[in-house]
Amino acid sequence: MDEASSSKTMNSSISEMSTQRMISMQRDLTAAVTNIQTAADARESTRRKELQEARQRRLELLENNARSSQNKAEEIFEALSSTKEKVIPQELQEALNSQQNICTLVLEDKDKLINDLQKELKVSDDRFVKDLRRMAEELDLMKERMEDQIKTLTEAYREEMSGVESFCLQEIEVLVTKDKSEWENHMKELWDQELERLEQRKEKVVEYETKIHHLMLDNMDKESIIKIEQDANFQALDVENQKMKASTMLMNLQQIKQKNNVDVHNFNLSQMYERISSLQMEIKKLVTKFSNQAKYLRDTSHHLKKDYKRILEQHERVQKKIKHFAVADAGRFKEMWRMVEAEVTLLVEKALAIDSEICVKHLGLAWDQPVLPFRELPGSIRPKQQTNTDPHPQLAQTQQALQCSGGAEDTSDRASSEAETTAGDQEGSDAGLEEETLVAVSHLLCDATGLIQESLLMLLSPLEEDVQMAMKLGSSLYALGLADKDFPKLAHFLLKYRQEQSEDVSGELSASSDQEEALIINPNQVLIALKGFLQQHKGSRENSDQSQSSVLQTEHRDSSADRVYWESLSNIITVDKVRLWEAAEESLQQHLVVLTEISELDIEKESLEQENTELRLLLQQSLSS
Amino acid sequence: MAPALSAREKEPPGSGPKGPDDCRRLRRIIAEDPLWSLALVPSLSHLCLKSFVRDFEGLTVYEQLSNTEREFIQERLPPSLPLSVTANVIEDGVYWKRCCKQQWDLCDVSRYGDSWKRMFFERCLEGVIELFIPGVTEPKKILEMVPLCENYVKRLDISQLLTPIREPKKEEEEEDNVLGLENDDEYDGPQMNHFDFSILLEKLICLEELHVAYRVKQCGLNYEGRMFEMNYKDCVSLAKALKSCKTLKLLRLHQSNIDDMKVQILVKQLLGHPSLKELDFSHNVIGDVGAGAVAKLLTKSKLEVLNMCDNEITDPGAKAIAQALSKNSTLVSLNLRLNRLGDEGGRAIAEALMNNITLRHLHLGANEVTGPTAIALAKVIAQNNTLKSINLSCNNLGEDGGKALEEAMSHNTSVTECDIRLSEVDEQIVSSINQVVWTNQGLGQKG
Repeated sequence: MDEASSSKTMNSSISEMSTQRMISMQRDLTAAVTNIQTAADARESTRRKELQEARQRRLELLENNARSSQNKAEEIFEALSSTKEKVIPQELQEALNSQQNICTLVLEDKDKLINDLQKELKVSDDRFVKDLRRMAEELDLMKERMEDQIKTLTEAYREEMSGVESFCLQEIEVLVTKDKSEWENHMKELWDQELERLEQRKEKVVEYETKIHHLMLDNMDKESIIKIEQDANFQALDVENQKMKASTMLMNLQQIKQKNNVDVHNFNLSQMYERISSLQMEIKKLVTKFSNQAKYLRDTSHHLKKDYKRILEQHERVQKKIKHFAVADAGRFKEMWRMVEAEVTLLVEKALAIDSEICVKHLGLAWDQPVLPFRELPGSIRPKQQTNTDPHPQLAQTQQALQCSGGAEDTSDRASSEAETTAGDQEGSDAGLEEETLVAVSHLLCDATGLIQESLLMLLSPLEEDVQMAMKLGSSLYALGLADKDFPKLAHFLLKYRQEQSEDVSGELSASSDQEEALIINPNQVLIALKGFLQQHKGSRENSDQSQSSVLQTEHRDSSADRVYWESLSNIITVDKVRLWEAAEESLQQHLVVLTEISELDIEKESLEQENTELRLLLQQSLSS
Repeated sequence: MAPALSAREKEPPGSGPKGPDDCRRLRRIIAEDPLWSLALVPSLSHLCLKSFVRDFEGLTVYEQLSNTEREFIQERLPPSLPLSVTANVIEDGVYWKRCCKQQWDLCDVSRYGDSWKRMFFERCLEGVIELFIPGVTEPKKILEMVPLCENYVKRLDISQLLTPIREPKKEEEEEDNVLGLENDDEYDGPQMNHFDFSILLEKLICLEELHVAYRVKQCGLNYEGRMFEMNYKDCVSLAKALKSCKTLKLLRLHQSNIDDMKVQILVKQLLGHPSLKELDFSHNVIGDVGAGAVAKLLTKSKLEVLNMCDNEITDPGAKAIAQALSKNSTLVSLNLRLNRLGDEGGRAIAEALMNNITLRHLHLGANEVTGPTAIALAKVIAQNNTLKSINLSCNNLGEDGGKALEEAMSHNTSVTECDIRLSEVDEQIVSSINQVVWTNQGLGQKG
C-alpha cells in the first residue's frame, strides 16, 4: 500500500513537474513571440513620437521661414516703394541690385528649405523602406519563432509523453512483478489449503457415506412399516370415502330428482296451461261447431222425419209383402213336402220290391209285407186329411196367424178386441171430443201422478206451459213404459174405466157428466185405472209380439215329429235285413268271382285249343313235309 | 471393349454440366474477360442511385432517400454542378467538403462551425465580392447568389474591395493632375467608389459577422491612395446597409483609413442596432471626435468588445470613452493599443474602472502613459475583482508606477495577465508581478 501511494505521489509529482515545465515553456515561447510585437509597438510609438517631433520642428522651421521671408518680402516691398521715388538711375540700379540680392537671398532661403525638406523626405523614405524591411524581417522572425515554438513544444510534449510512458511502463513492470510474486505466493497457499481441505473432505465423505447407508437402511425399515400402516389407514379412509361418496351421490340424486320433479311439475303446469288455453280454444270451436251441428241436426231431423214417414210407409208395404211371401212360401212348402213324400214312398216301395226279390229268389224265403208306418204316423200331409184332422198344432197356429194377418177377426184376445171395439166405438161417437179429452188426460197424468221427477220440473219451469205439458207427458209416458201412440188408447181406457165405474155407481150420471168426465175423474182412481191399463197393454203387446213372431216362424217348423216320420220311412228296411243283404251281396260277389275266373279260363282254353290246332297243323305240315 | 471405352471418353465434353467441366468453363470465362470481377453484381438500388448521380438536375426524390443513399450520392456527385441545383437540396456533408477541397487548398472547417456547406458559400460569396469591379461587374451576379446562400452565410470576411477601372479617362486625369489636384475630388464625387453593401446585407438573413477592409491586395505599381481608403459615399452606403442588417453581431472595419467624420456617420446608423456585440475599428485614423462618437455608441448599445487599436485617439477622446465606460455595464473588452492617450486619458480610464464591474480585458499598450496612470490603475487592481488582463506594455511607467502595480498585484487574485514589458520597470518587480499572475492563473485553472 505504501508503495502504491508513493508511486501515486511520484506520478502526481512527475505530472505536476511536467505541466509546470510545459506552462513555463509555453510562457517563455509566447513571450519570445510577443516580445517582437511589443518591441514593434514600442518602436512604432517612438517613431510616432519622433514623427510628431519632426513635424513640430518642421512646422516651426516653416513658420520661421515664412516669418523671415515675410519680413524680407516687406523689405522688398518697402524698397520697391522707395525705388519709385528715386530718379537717379545709379541709385535705381543700386536699389535694384539690393532688391535682387534680397530676392536671391529669399530664394536661396526657400531653396535651402526645400532642399532640407526634400532631404528629410528622402531620409524618411529611406527610413520607411528600412522600417518596412525590418518589419518584414521581424515578421519572418516571428514566423520562425512560432515555428520553433511549435517544434520545441511538440518535441517537449513528445519527450514528456515518452518519459511518462517509460515511467509508466517501468512502474507497471514493477507492479506486475510484485503482483505476480504475490499472486504466486497466494496461489501456493491456496493450493495447499485446498489440498488439505480436499483430504479432509474425502475422509468426511467416507464417513458420511457409511452413515448415510445406515440411515438409509433404517429409514427403509421405518418407511416400510409406515407404509403398511398408511396403506391400512388409506384403505379404511378409502372405504369411508366411498361411503361418503355414495351418500353424497344419493343426496345429489335426490336433489336432482327433486329438481327434476319440480321441473317436471313446472313443465306440466305450463303444459296444462297450454292445454287449458288450447282446450278453451277448442271449446270455442266446439261451441261454434255445436251451433252449426244443431242447425244441421235440426235440418237433418226435419229430413229424417220425412224419411221416417216414408220408411213407415215402406215398412207397411214391406210387411204386406212379407205376409204375401209367407203365404206363398207356405204353399210352396206344402208342395215340396208332398213331392218329397211321394218320392220317398216310391223309394220305399222300390226297396221293398228288391227285398221281396232277394227274399224270394235268393233266399228262397217267403216275403211278408212289412208294416207301412208312415200311414200311421202324424206329419204326413195329405190333401184329403188336411181340413179334417189338423194333426199338427204348429201348422194350425200358422194358419191362425195367417188368418189373423190376413184380416180375419175370429181368433183374437179379449183385451185387444175390446180395445179395438172401444176404439171403434169411440171413433164413431167421440171423434170431436178426442182432442180435448187427450189434453185433459195429459193434464191429469202430469198433475196427479208422481211420475215426473222434481229435477225435471225444475228444469222445465222456465219453459212455456204447452211445451212443459208436452215434456211432462213425454216423461210420464216414458216412466210408464208406453209409447206415444199408446196415449190415445190410455185415454180411451180411462174414459171406459170411468164409465164402468159410473155405471156401477149410477147409470144416470154418465150421460150428464159425459162432457166433464176428464175434469171430474177422481185423481185417486187414476193410479188404479193406470195399473189396469198397463196390465192390459202389456198383454196386448205380448200378443202382438207373438203374432209377429209366429208369422216369421212359419218356415221353422217343429221337426221332431217330422224326424220320426222320416226315420220311420228310412228304416223301412231293418238292420237285420241289411245284414242279410250284405251277406247275400257277399255270396253273390263270391259267385261273381268264380264266374269271372271261369270265363277267363274259358278264354285260355280256347287259345290253347287254337294253339293245339296250330301245332297239330305244324306237326302235320312237318310230318307231311 | 475398346470402342466402348473410347465412347465413354468422348462423352463428358459433349454432356456438359458435369462437375469438373463446369469448373473449367468458369475459370475460362474469368480468364478471357478482363472486365470480369468477382465482386457482387450491384443491386438495382445501387444502379438507380448511380443514375441519380448522372442526372441529378432532374432528380426530385432526393428528400425521400435514406441517409446512406444520400451519402452515396454526395460522394459521387460532380462538384461542377450549378449551385442553383445543389444549393438548397443537398445538405451539409461530403459533397460540400469535396467542393471546398477542390476550390481551396487550405480548408479549416473549424472556423466555419464545422460546416462545409457554410464554408463553401461564405468563401464563394467573399470571392465574388472581392472580385467585384464597380461599373463593370453587374450587381446581378452577386444578387443571383443571394437566394442560394442566404441561409448558410453567417460571416463575411472581405479582405479587399476593388475600385472602378478608369482606363479611358486616365489621360484626362493626368492632364487634370497637371492642372490641379482639386479636380480629382470633383471627379470622384459623383462616382460610387467601392462595392455597395446596401444591396446585399439586408438580404443575408443569417449574417452575424462582417469583416471589411477597404483596400486592394497586390496592387503593385498601380498604387493609388484612394484604393486604400473608404470614401464618403462608401461610408454612407455601408452605414445604411449595416442598419438594415438586423442580425449582425460583429463589425470589423480595419485598415480602411476611416476618419472622424466617417466614424460619426457609421455610429449614427449603428446607435439603435439590436444585436451588435463587437466593434473593431483597428488600424484607422480615428481621432478624438470619432472616439467621442464611439463613446456615445458605448452608452447606447450593448457592445461587449471594442477594439480601437492603432488610431489617433488622445486624452479628450480617452476621457469621452472613460465617461462612457463608467456608465456602461456590458463592455467586457477594451483595446486602445497604439493610441496617444497620455497620462490624462489613462487616469480618466482608470478612474472610470473604479465604477465599472464588467470590464475584464484592458489594453493600453503603447499609449504614452506614465507613472500616474500606473498608480491609478494599481488602485483599480487592488479594488477590482473582475479585471482579468491588463496590458501596459511599451509605456514609460517608471519605478513608482512599477512599485505601485507590484503592491496592488500582491493583494489581487483575479488578474491572470499583466503585461508590463518594455515599460522601464525593474526586473524584480516584473518577475514578482509575473509570479502573482501565474499563481492567479493556477487558481483560475483550479477554480
